[in-house]
Amino acid sequence: MISAIQNVITSPAIASIAQNTNQALIVETTLKAIGRPGFILMDGDISKDTKKYAATKELLYQAICLLVYMTLVVPVFKRGAFKMAKNSKMFNKFDDAKALEKFKSADEVLNYHKLTERSPAEKQKAIKKDKYKSLHDDLLKNLTDTDKSEKYPLIKGVVELGNIVGSVLGLAILAPQVSHAIIHPALRFLRLEKKKEPEIMTENKLDIQI
Amino acid sequence: MAKAQLLKQLCISLGKNNKPTYAVMTIAAVKGICRPAFTMMDKTEEPETKKYTALREGLTEVIAIPTYYALGEAAPKLAAKMPKELQTMAKKNLMFLGVCIAAVFAIPALCSIAIKPLMDKIQNNNKKSKSIDVNILSLMSAPQITSTGNPIIKPSRLSTFSSAKIITGMKVGGV
Repeated sequence: MISAIQNVITSPAIASIAQNTNQALIVETTLKAIGRPGFILMDGDISKDTKKYAATKELLYQAICLLVYMTLVVPVFKRGAFKMAKNSKMFNKFDDAKALEKFKSADEVLNYHKLTERSPAEKQKAIKKDKYKSLHDDLLKNLTDTDKSEKYPLIKGVVELGNIVGSVLGLAILAPQVSHAIIHPALRFLRLEKKKEPEIMTENKLDIQI
Repeated sequence: MAKAQLLKQLCISLGKNNKPTYAVMTIAAVKGICRPAFTMMDKTEEPETKKYTALREGLTEVIAIPTYYALGEAAPKLAAKMPKELQTMAKKNLMFLGVCIAAVFAIPALCSIAIKPLMDKIQNNNKKSKSIDVNILSLMSAPQITSTGNPIIKPSRLSTFSSAKIITGMKVGGV
């Protein structure tokens, strides 16, 4: 049992998820989508209908966040930051940025970085996979020849900065607006919410004369 | 050029060690500013409802930011018990685990415990200041009198919004 926990805690796969903003946020949002409605349903202090309503609303909100994030934010900002850096004259003046030419896409940067964290034996095994075969010769040499591969932190950082900016815009601004537009019609469709009736103003009726 | 250097340093630092707390804390901070602002801009809601919702959204994020930080920074300390060669990897993984625990358990639990008393306190303070205003106004203006000589008493408009809403469970969604 203890060794199983130790294996999870020291797993390189989990470490690479933790170091990748997109993957970390996808895992976190998925956990929220499962965990939070679950806890609402377990709450013994509220009525059954309220629990059902609140849990559905929370599930819908997290699911919409996840959908918006995966379909819009991840591809646009991750790829956008990489392309911007590649075409930026200011950025290309830095010596460390010259390695950008060796990478074809943001995914390639992240895949390469993931491998640099692995042991030499694991690297040798992984580079035989199709997705690593298209890597630049210098990058493949880095992975095979040396125990400690060059990690190109500036290039990885550019992709991560794009991910963070996209995540903030997507999860803090865009997703709540999209979910605001979708959640209430969806709840009405599921018959968990009734349409609001217009209120009649009765201000004059409240004036009392003695 | 200074800005370019700053951007370069930021990227290098993120490339070397991109802590999961960076993204979640930034998201919480932006949510804490934008969501109450969006709520206050909503023209379809009652002003009192808007104030209540905005305050609640702001408080949720105020609780979320230190919780993410505390659990994200505290969890890696457990890695000290691991063998030395595994500590670096364990620190990264435990930080991520801390952030997940904060998001799924700690923040909803803390919000359930802290938000209601905080909201009550803030709203009671507002009520007290409002009641003082009303008393001053009533002292300053003389009552209107009808033709029969009886005073007309106009009570303040009844508020249909109950500030003492029952808050149970965790804060649900952003809507």
